[in-house]
Amino acid sequence: MAEAILVTLRETWSGYVNGLRLVIPRLLAMLSVVAAGWLIAALARAITRKALAWLRVARLAERTGAAELLRKAELPPAERLAASAVFWVLFLGFLLAGLDALGFATLTALRLELGILLPRVAGGVVILAVGLVVANVVWRVVLLATVNAGWPSARLVGGAVYFLLVTIAAAMALDHVGLARSIVVAAFAILVGAVMLAVAIAVGIGAGPLVRRLLDGQLAARSRPDTDGSSHL
Amino acid sequence: MSTILSDELLSGLMAVGQLDVLVGLPTLNHSDSVGPVVRAVHVAFNRELARERTALVNVDGGSTDGTPDIVRDASIVDRETLVASQSLRTRHRISAPYHGVPGKAAALRTIFAAADLLQARAVVVLDPEIASVTPESVVALARPALRGEADFVSPVYTRHPLDGPLVTQVVRPLFRAAYGLALQEPLAGEFGCSGLFAARCLDEPAWDTDDLRLAIDLWISGMSAGDALRVVEAALGPRRLTSRPRPAVTSLVPQVLDALFTSLRLQEGTWTGRSRGHAVRRAASPPDPLDPPPTVDSAGYATLFRDGVSALGAMLAPVFRPPTLEGLRAAAAPDRPVEIPDALWAAAVQELAAAHRHATISRDHLVRAAVPLYLGRVASFAAEVAGLGPREAAERLEALCLHFERCRGDLVALWTAPAR
Repeated sequence: MAEAILVTLRETWSGYVNGLRLVIPRLLAMLSVVAAGWLIAALARAITRKALAWLRVARLAERTGAAELLRKAELPPAERLAASAVFWVLFLGFLLAGLDALGFATLTALRLELGILLPRVAGGVVILAVGLVVANVVWRVVLLATVNAGWPSARLVGGAVYFLLVTIAAAMALDHVGLARSIVVAAFAILVGAVMLAVAIAVGIGAGPLVRRLLDGQLAARSRPDTDGSSHL
Repeated sequence: MSTILSDELLSGLMAVGQLDVLVGLPTLNHSDSVGPVVRAVHVAFNRELARERTALVNVDGGSTDGTPDIVRDASIVDRETLVASQSLRTRHRISAPYHGVPGKAAALRTIFAAADLLQARAVVVLDPEIASVTPESVVALARPALRGEADFVSPVYTRHPLDGPLVTQVVRPLFRAAYGLALQEPLAGEFGCSGLFAARCLDEPAWDTDDLRLAIDLWISGMSAGDALRVVEAALGPRRLTSRPRPAVTSLVPQVLDALFTSLRLQEGTWTGRSRGHAVRRAASPPDPLDPPPTVDSAGYATLFRDGVSALGAMLAPVFRPPTLEGLRAAAAPDRPVEIPDALWAAAVQELAAAHRHATISRDHLVRAAVPLYLGRVASFAAEVAGLGPREAAERLEALCLHFERCRGDLVALWTAPAR
């Protein structure tokens, strides 16, 4: 009886020790990969920040209106945000490589899935960021043009253009990520179609004469800036 | 030098020899207006400048409407020439294309290079857009430099203080505050200068920059603020522009602001370090204008100002300091007339200039966003001087300039501060 217990204990402990012998080197390998990854990612973050500061990305962000967007979203300045993105992409890459070193089948499968998904998400974020910057620049151009032309609803027109461009950018980003693609495409089509249909019905059929009278009244009451500016020189 | 002058122009100049007065006429499709200008120059050459060695040099940017032919063939039909003195010297009339990208900067560079080559004592540059050029105005621009009394001669026109508000409300006061030079018309396209001044301008490296193309008139005026240069203003009477289509005010204001701020940027090395003003001698005070004051659509401008401040406030937040932005918002309140006092206007213009310098937002967006602010100030000034005579209104303009001058320290501090 005692012999059986001793054998069982010995086998159990030897199994644990063998398991530890197998896991500890892998764990150390993972920790070393993660630690090295953290160092490399931190170094890359510092280099990126320096390089972006040298390239005066902050000024570019101000000029394109991206800085204004980031402030509104309570996000850090563009160069810090880009440097953080570089850090996390690199660190996550090393972390996944480190997890792979553990040799667990589940973690390996997870890493493979994340390896496919992460580039898509990064691509989607880039598409969305570019879309937001473009929308902001176009919004400014439209707003300035409509204000200087004396349009009565300059902010509304500018806002509508901005909303449309951001919606397109968001739909493109979601489509790129591949999340519920059919739902995104259908939702986008329904949204744009509904807005256009509503405007068409309101202006074209339902309230055409009323809208015309309102616009006539507003536009007639407002003077337009001089078409010949020579008297200003 | 030979790279600036085209072969055609060089061969024409070789036949001229040394000169006393060179009149330069930059043109580009000015067939409708250049004839009277050429005739005025020739009357001046044959009458008041009959004893001087003179030449008219037309540099053309590639006109397709026969402008150079009109310059070559323009005959002196003015009846004044019948009583003019007999010309004592050969009159030269050269018309040739110039090198480089078409534009007034390249044309002026060519004229200055020709003046330098011919060692002209006085150079007069005329603007074919100005229909009121007379023989007397050509002489008034040439004489001070010819007598050795001036290095730069700037025109003064007989205008009502409400005429040309872009000059009186923005360009004149800011130019005066920055350069310390109280020119009435720093934006004028016609001027006179000495051969020395032309040579000094030619030596500047700015000719090779693209920025100079849009800021050339103000850059030339700014050059006259250089040390030891004598500046004179010549009264040329009323100014009439040719009747060709011109840009709307919403395009004109951004163009002029861009030119003004670019000119300040190109010459920041000279004006930011200067501590005192530069004297301008006025040859004669212009008489009071006979024309009625121009009409100003104050109500329309006020509406555009209010709408502009309301819609563009967020865009302008990084441009203006908080008190200035608050002041503009208060001035745009819907329940009272638009009133932009001198102090607020001076701060707004100087902060716009500094934001352009530092590219705080896109420069193109910045100058376009300034249009409603400018229109608001015009409405405010028109209301302020309504009922005043031209002399009293002119005194108000002088007070505005003095206010800008008092804020010069602020302008330099904003300009030289590191970009926010």
